[in-house]
Amino acid sequence: MSQTESHDDGHHGLMVKNKKLLMWLFLGSDCMFFGTLISTHLIYRKLHPEEFDPTQLFSLELTSFSTFILLMSSFLMALAVSAMHKGEMKSFRRNVIGVIFFGLIFLGCQVYEFAHFMHEGLNLDTGTFGSTFYLMTGTHGVHVAVGVFWLISMLFYSQSGKMEAHKSAIDVEAAGLYWHFVDIVWIVIFTVVYLIEFIA
Amino acid sequence: MSDTKHMSELDVLKTENDRYYAFVNLALILAAVTGIELVLVYLPFPSTLIFTVLISLSLFKFIGVIAWFMHLIYDKLILTMAFGTGMVIAFGTYTALLFLLSGEMVAPQEIPGR
Repeated sequence: MSQTESHDDGHHGLMVKNKKLLMWLFLGSDCMFFGTLISTHLIYRKLHPEEFDPTQLFSLELTSFSTFILLMSSFLMALAVSAMHKGEMKSFRRNVIGVIFFGLIFLGCQVYEFAHFMHEGLNLDTGTFGSTFYLMTGTHGVHVAVGVFWLISMLFYSQSGKMEAHKSAIDVEAAGLYWHFVDIVWIVIFTVVYLIEFIA
Repeated sequence: MSDTKHMSELDVLKTENDRYYAFVNLALILAAVTGIELVLVYLPFPSTLIFTVLISLSLFKFIGVIAWFMHLIYDKLILTMAFGTGMVIAFGTYTALLFLLSGEMVAPQEIPGR
């Protein structure tokens, strides 16, 4: 292996692939971004508890279903990454199609939820609750949409026949890390924004 | 050289097959925990207890996904540190804001939006 190849392939000092390290650093920074959005929502909620009662509006069944869908999409993503490492392109495609399908279901649920909330009078300008809630969950939804587009482009690329399992495994792993991150952000939002509101 | 490559491919297959069962088990556990969380909020237990259990279950799901699905337990420590730094800063931001903007710390007119 030549010097150039070794540097393209991974970081020698840390023995970690550069793309993987870069993705983890990005996710660390995205963590701070979502941390700020969630903190802002929770603190305004604490400061203005009387402003809005979300228990009249939130549907825990729908949100739990969305959470379940996103968790199962994460499972399929883990299988897709595993299939790529094993060089099983068909299995990879099958699992990625499943992830895309689940991602679209999640987005559909979010669009339905937003439409329902707006119909019931919760808008972006409905006090601090409306603005912080839509900003936080909307940003998460955009992340899911970006993930879906990323996976669709990866699926088309794999269909073109140009994708080689051993070369593209790290790219699929990076996309997988992004998708799992979107999932863990939702795990936090589901508990601290939705479930906790229902504790008497 | 080809033997070494062949062995390495076999190792990869074995590792990935072992992980498959871990992924299936984790997916089942995560689905069950989500169901438990949904039921828990309707149970007539003290709110402090439910709050603590919900946060613990959420933390469990969070760690489960980052450790197994995101391969952190199989990967180098540097990746955990890269992500952990972001996590610590995110949680620090929440704690700092909580103290800075709590009702007892500032006069009502100084609280944005009030």
